[in-house]
Amino acid sequence: MVGSLRQARIAFVGAPIGRLVNLLVILAVGYAIFILATKIFAQGPSYFLQILTFGVANGAIYALVALGYTMVYGIIELINFAHGDLFTLGGFISVFLLPIFGLDASKAGTAGIILPLIAVFIVTMLICGAINVTIERVAYRPLRHAPRLAPLITAIGMSFVLEGVMFLWKGPFNVPYPNLLPTTGIVIGGATIGVKDIFVIVVAAVLMIVLALFVSRSTLGKAMRATAQDQDATELMGIDINRTIAATFFIGAVLAGAGGTIFGLYYNTMVFDLGFSAGLFAFTAAVFGGIGNIQGAALGGLLIGLITALWDGYMESTWTQVIIFGILILVLVFRPTGLLGMRVPEK
Amino acid sequence: MQRRWYTAGALIASFAMLATACTSGTGGTAGGGGTSKGEIIIASDQPTSGGDASDGLPAQNGIQFAVESAGSIKGFKLTFKGWDDTVNGNHNPEKGAQNIQEMIADAKILGMIGPNNSNVARAMIPIANRASFTMISAANTNECLTQTFPYCEADTGTTPAKLRPNGVNNYFRVAAADTFQGPAAADFIVDTLKITKVAVWSDNETFGKGVADKFTTEFTKKGGTVVVRQDFDTKTTNDWKPFLTDAKNKGALAVYAGATSGTKICIPRAQMKGILDAPYMVPDGGVNSQCIKDAADNGANLYGTVAAADANQNPDAKATIDAFKAKFTKKEDIGSYTFPAMDCANILIDAIGRAIDANGGNMPSREQVRAAVAATKSFKGTTGTYTFDANGDPTSPTMAIFQTKGSPLDWVFVKQFGVGG
Repeated sequence: MVGSLRQARIAFVGAPIGRLVNLLVILAVGYAIFILATKIFAQGPSYFLQILTFGVANGAIYALVALGYTMVYGIIELINFAHGDLFTLGGFISVFLLPIFGLDASKAGTAGIILPLIAVFIVTMLICGAINVTIERVAYRPLRHAPRLAPLITAIGMSFVLEGVMFLWKGPFNVPYPNLLPTTGIVIGGATIGVKDIFVIVVAAVLMIVLALFVSRSTLGKAMRATAQDQDATELMGIDINRTIAATFFIGAVLAGAGGTIFGLYYNTMVFDLGFSAGLFAFTAAVFGGIGNIQGAALGGLLIGLITALWDGYMESTWTQVIIFGILILVLVFRPTGLLGMRVPEK
Repeated sequence: MQRRWYTAGALIASFAMLATACTSGTGGTAGGGGTSKGEIIIASDQPTSGGDASDGLPAQNGIQFAVESAGSIKGFKLTFKGWDDTVNGNHNPEKGAQNIQEMIADAKILGMIGPNNSNVARAMIPIANRASFTMISAANTNECLTQTFPYCEADTGTTPAKLRPNGVNNYFRVAAADTFQGPAAADFIVDTLKITKVAVWSDNETFGKGVADKFTTEFTKKGGTVVVRQDFDTKTTNDWKPFLTDAKNKGALAVYAGATSGTKICIPRAQMKGILDAPYMVPDGGVNSQCIKDAADNGANLYGTVAAADANQNPDAKATIDAFKAKFTKKEDIGSYTFPAMDCANILIDAIGRAIDANGGNMPSREQVRAAVAATKSFKGTTGTYTFDANGDPTSPTMAIFQTKGSPLDWVFVKQFGVGG
């Protein structure tokens, strides 16, 4: 499929009309970047640093969600549309767990929150993992050999099911999430880097590094990569494919659960249908970086966070999404496999 | 391939919406009084389950209270029946259109109170108009629903004349139009808060962007400067911090938001903490308990406009308010539009009474009810005295300003004043 895409692209890019379109798109994006750059210079370095901080923190959350999309796509070529809702569910579960572990707004910013918060993270991640493994077992595994559209529609259905559950659980309103992290920050070059921003970036980075090490070093990680390459051959080697795929769903959901908790702690608000838009952006991030590619998903998430923050901070927010998807189209025209290349078998 | 997947997603989504839309309206019934001649139903349409339920439910309570308190009118039993225009957690024009068709299909319903949202009203008015079916809204503020301006066609896709295909007005409201709301907020910030530099954002919807634009025009006219202006797609935006930081850098001393609770109006207020310590002003879509919740630990120092008078300022309304509070005891049962909506219901009941008289004591036609509502003169309600002009607007609309204060935080009346007329 990738091969035929590449041929179609080469034919299009080679044709005069294709060249013209490419030229126009490049000119438009070049002009936008030029305007952005002049505004960045005009507003000074401390503001730029501030916006950059917001962008990286935002991007780290997108990246965590994007990893789940990319891992599942990499292994069974399914776009798990329910993944964004699992991210929201992670936030909802953690907001439910907080009082159980004795965390409320009165303890905000104290050292006493650290251990219970770690416990909340772990329990949330495990519950999300268990839910996703169940979803895989009930909804996707029976359809593994069905035509591709069947599991895709099932995934969209699962997304609505999860949203419905959260709607019934917490209602249609914004759900307040206690502001537990310290609201202070360190001032660097005139910009305030908040404890919250550092927290998001550090937790996301640690999780991603652990994941990358796990996939590249551990036996299960090796089994995952093998399954992604060729399921039949992997099975012949004596690897339990069902278990490997279930593990992939588990790890993806663990990251989504962590992402949801981080989102709650960072923005202090959740809403039942948050996963739809967050999932769409995270999926875009995964495609941006090269679907199936773990480093690519992280890079894609980071870029989308940065573009959003820069555009919101310097230009007109109305156009933020147009710019994100415009750049995505541009990247895909010149690199159909995303920035860092796809890691899926060519079929 | 990807495109096909999105198409599939869109199909599924529309089926889901259809399925939700098929659930029928809910509501209670009540009796009482001399009821030998039959039954007349007063309908209401409000967003009673979605993101706007914090406005819709209190308004519905007011209508229900008015109908149940009256009990009967000139020998007819009065019954309340409420419809919900929410689909997937948000107010929905198509659902509103479906609701009004159901109301029109029931011969016992002589008129309705609502809706809450101007875009829903836009879908309902033409359908009701063909049936000479009376609508009275407490909270619709879009000026193009009743008044013709050169920009109406471009901004809202329709005009008052197009909304009324049979040429006779069937739509009335007690709220002041948006031509007053944005400017009232601008005047308050300049004259009372003495601030001349603000940042403005909107949710890019008809109401939100409209009120933000009108705010900007008046604010600039009064010598103020809008240092930053942004319009967000609130479905996908979670982070207002770049906007707020920009506002702070450019010297904004207050923020004005054109949005509603359904479009995250007070989420940015929570994010202002640590970035910009300044007053935050909202239109009526934010003057409710949800906004205070969304503002989290930054809920103080919020200001808001409401396009109707505050019933608590009217000494004659005290008995009614006390009776209402005895029946609806929770704090969130009362909202900014509870008493305006109650007044709408009482205006309709009063008009039905006159229409019954005009019809020799018999069940009046819908046209007779409509004509009686149009002829309403100096009706004394809890929030003011109402007479409708030819467009269906109140002849002396009122604007009220509220502020969050106290512990626990609540919206507290600041002042009110007549506008236009």
